[in-house]
Amino acid sequence: MTLFLQAVADGLQMGLLYALVAVGLAIIWGLMEMINFAHGEFMMLGMFGAWGLSVWLGWDPLISMVPIAVVMYGLGVLVYRLLMQRVQRGEVFTQIFATVGLFFFIQNGVVALFTSDYRFVDKSLLTGLSGVNLTVGGIRIGVPLLVGGLIALGLFLMLYLLIDRTDFGLALQATAEDRDAAMLVGIRPQRMYAVAWGLGTALVAVAGVILANFFSVYPQAGLSFTVLAYAIVALGGFGSVLGTLLAALLVGVVQSVTAAYLPPAFKDAFVFGSYILIGLFRPQGLFGRF
Amino acid sequence: MAWVVAALVALLYPIPFERSGQIYYETVGFLVLLNAMLGIGWNIIGGWAGQFDFGPSIFLAIGAYAAALLSIHLGWNAWLALLGAVVVSVALCAALTYPVTRLRGHYFAIATVAMWMIAQPIGATWRFINGSQGLFIPVAPGAGFVHGMLTMEFAGRGKGLGFYYLSLGLFVLTLLGARAVERSKLGFYFRAVRDDQDGAEAIGIDSRLYKVIARCLMAAVFAAGGTLYGFWALAVFPDQVLDVNWNILPMMAAVVGGLGRLWGPALGAIVLIPISQVMTTTLGSGPLAGRGIDLIIYGAVIMLIAGWRPNGLLSLPWAAWAARFRARAPAPVAKG
Amino acid sequence: MRNLRIIAAVAVLSFVAIQWSPGARAAGPITEVLIGELLPLTGNFASLGQQYLWAGQTVEDIVNNDYPDLSVPLGPGKGFPGLGGAKMTLVVRDDQSRGEQARTLAEQLITVNKVHWLNGEGTSGNTSIIQPLVESYGIPMSCHPCASPTLTEKGFKWFYRTGPNDGTMVASVFQFLREWPSHGGPSDLKTIALFTCDNLFCQDNRKIALELSEKGGYKIVADLTTKTGATTLASEVQRLQAANPDVLFLVQYPAETTVFQADLKRANYMPKVIATSNGAYSDQTWLTAQKPSAGAAGWLGRDPTAIDLASKKPAWKKVNEIYKKYSRGQDMGELAMREITGMLWMADTINRAKSVDPAALAKAANETDMKPDMMIIDYKGIKFDKNRQNELATGVVTQIGWDDEKHTIWPWDLATQAGFKPIYPSPSWQERESRSKK
Repeated sequence: MTLFLQAVADGLQMGLLYALVAVGLAIIWGLMEMINFAHGEFMMLGMFGAWGLSVWLGWDPLISMVPIAVVMYGLGVLVYRLLMQRVQRGEVFTQIFATVGLFFFIQNGVVALFTSDYRFVDKSLLTGLSGVNLTVGGIRIGVPLLVGGLIALGLFLMLYLLIDRTDFGLALQATAEDRDAAMLVGIRPQRMYAVAWGLGTALVAVAGVILANFFSVYPQAGLSFTVLAYAIVALGGFGSVLGTLLAALLVGVVQSVTAAYLPPAFKDAFVFGSYILIGLFRPQGLFGRF
Repeated sequence: MAWVVAALVALLYPIPFERSGQIYYETVGFLVLLNAMLGIGWNIIGGWAGQFDFGPSIFLAIGAYAAALLSIHLGWNAWLALLGAVVVSVALCAALTYPVTRLRGHYFAIATVAMWMIAQPIGATWRFINGSQGLFIPVAPGAGFVHGMLTMEFAGRGKGLGFYYLSLGLFVLTLLGARAVERSKLGFYFRAVRDDQDGAEAIGIDSRLYKVIARCLMAAVFAAGGTLYGFWALAVFPDQVLDVNWNILPMMAAVVGGLGRLWGPALGAIVLIPISQVMTTTLGSGPLAGRGIDLIIYGAVIMLIAGWRPNGLLSLPWAAWAARFRARAPAPVAKG
Repeated sequence: MRNLRIIAAVAVLSFVAIQWSPGARAAGPITEVLIGELLPLTGNFASLGQQYLWAGQTVEDIVNNDYPDLSVPLGPGKGFPGLGGAKMTLVVRDDQSRGEQARTLAEQLITVNKVHWLNGEGTSGNTSIIQPLVESYGIPMSCHPCASPTLTEKGFKWFYRTGPNDGTMVASVFQFLREWPSHGGPSDLKTIALFTCDNLFCQDNRKIALELSEKGGYKIVADLTTKTGATTLASEVQRLQAANPDVLFLVQYPAETTVFQADLKRANYMPKVIATSNGAYSDQTWLTAQKPSAGAAGWLGRDPTAIDLASKKPAWKKVNEIYKKYSRGQDMGELAMREITGMLWMADTINRAKSVDPAALAKAANETDMKPDMMIIDYKGIKFDKNRQNELATGVVTQIGWDDEKHTIWPWDLATQAGFKPIYPSPSWQERESRSKK
């Protein structure tokens, strides 16, 4: 029984980290419906940012989170204005195609600058706490992961309030639902998309900064998290921030519990299998609006 | 007239390289034709039926493995194995796809990704296909060119030329098949589902059925491509046949050329693959090697093409150019 | 119509131009020996490929420049003396870790660039994809760090490997474990768990380890395979902890090993013995990253050379200095050492053949009998068996000590020379914490 409960606890902790990665995608894709092949690369840039600032300036990632978020917001807006805005004129597949190009460009740009070596953030608050656990009823909860998880929850709350409770958020939703109607009431869709890209990119970069405390930093680091992030946003349902969070927790738990009892090589397969199963009964994910 | 020129170029292309011994260029041609063929297959579900399919590589893998197993364990000839691979692939596609056609749009997209993600550990651990240690297709030694064309087994140097013509043949077959589908009722139903699924259902078109048919036509093409790939590489490894590039390169070729256009994938493949080869062999080598410069430029080129011609390169005024030397009225350009 | 004529003219001219493009080999004496370097420089295996590239560049430097005091083949003197001073030129290609790219570029190197020898691909899987092709063109080919035994078991006549294969490597670790009790080690190691990744390299190792475990009378208490790219291994750690093996046999890449170590730490679990076979243990960056936390103290695995002893060899030191010019200051890891040794052997073979004709190269290669004193590595020599596998490619077993360096613990004569007492059992996390705050 302890094995099972511990696996659930571990899964919830990882789920919060996955939620952190998925939250940026929830805006760009979940809300604005733009597929971004390069999402994981922005996360990787966040990781490198955290590593770089830690090595060159000695900044703790919890601090460098803020300047990195600002810079990456700018990058997201730039990418939208220079590239995505243009490709929106064409087929939706062209958008995907464009982000494939972005993927190659960013990943190999980092390879060119930094090589493919594995790097690590050595000195930070969270790495210093790396073995520290809280034990609740025989179940171990790692403190650094807990901190990461709390940050994720905080960002989710902020995002939820932004999207559901502010005028700006309503404008975003309106643009996503019906662009032409939104224009009729005076919303400028281009501006909404640009901000969405900025926000989404900033959020996933922050996820990278936090993850740099736990994982090695290298140019190909984005991939494993990205695929899960896509599954999570779709499972939660498009347009639902709460759905993304719950889906992330579910994914973490499925992954963790199946790895504890079944062949571990299949743990991601079970996650995706769950997606298909749930999708058969709820074609719009858990809480999808469209 | 344009057809004759294109056919002549395609048929004669490898000859100068055969003479100069630079077989590599024939292999580039093979890759172009293989990806063009896969692109046409993908176009059926992506361009015509308008569904997002990001996991077509599973059918390439199923095809490659089925053909390899039939060849190794039952000794089947490569062409028979190809047919077997197509049958297996279509059957599996129908079984897997029908349930998920409940999902629409991006949800369906993730379902195709999910199938790909599930296929990976199966490929890596399933004893029957030797898991990650791969299957190797033995080649009988000393066979000539004609024998090679009949069995896809070329001993020695005929390989480059042989596989070029094999891929050309399969490409033409796929093109003709796709053209037939495009002009048939099937093509009409696919486009109806893409343009307005609810409207199509309202007039009695079973959108789920046609999505499945479209995807299974693609699965057939990918299985054939997978067979061809297997006999070319002589080894089928799970991480190679399920590689992410098989998911995106056919789609890219279709998009670059012009989504939904019959010749789109061919044009896209002719543009994308030589560019990536040239860059790999120049920028990816020598003192700049290992820095990924060639891929940076490749990414930049893709972004440029996407930004400059979001509707694909076929949206350039080819029709006007073609109309200049056609005696009859220009044939209606199939609108995507 | 005019457009069409122009296009046609351009096409014809291009065809003609390609016929005369560079790459057609000029007749006459060879001034340049072309070595094809086909490596995964981007993609999944990039961190391996870049070490092989640096190794190749090191060898190119050694051959082409005069290092009078360097006692490795072709150290002194410029170029290939047997070919009138011809220089060695690497023709590098990146296959992005993809099989069909590897095969296509191999064909390019052979038929367009007309390389005289193909070195690559660096990983066993892609190397096996290019083997039939190179065989059909009949030029020599080598992959020194490729460890899959199948590469030399399929009867290819042109494929040479100077490095050991997984069979030898895993066997040396098990031999150490078997002989350890009679050399002061624990005699109660009865259970073993296997923890491997799911790709070709890891699974090859796992198969051999399973065989050797049964032969050695171990009880296999867990056999877990994980997918590469894992984001968490917490449940797997739980399962291993519950199985409580005496020996954990680990074959994982650096990224997954790091995740595993973090999860081990959280669970406060450490098996008594951690034995590895390549993977992270062979990766220089992973090793360096262990230093701040003493995270790898006590880990043991196979190495091609007794690093602690070899670094006293002047030749090793000199080669390392040259290597660091290309690797941006990173020391030679064990993979680079295997590759450098193999490529120096290749250069020596070309030199002995006094020709770039494939038949002459093959003859010189088959006749190889290189003695250990000319190598920076601890093989017993280079001599090929009938499958063109170096039968003298042995190695040592090392363990990482508290000083974060590898120390030789087997074979016993070298271990005595190295003077290091193996750490047993593997230190707990508390011990690591306290000792790393030095």
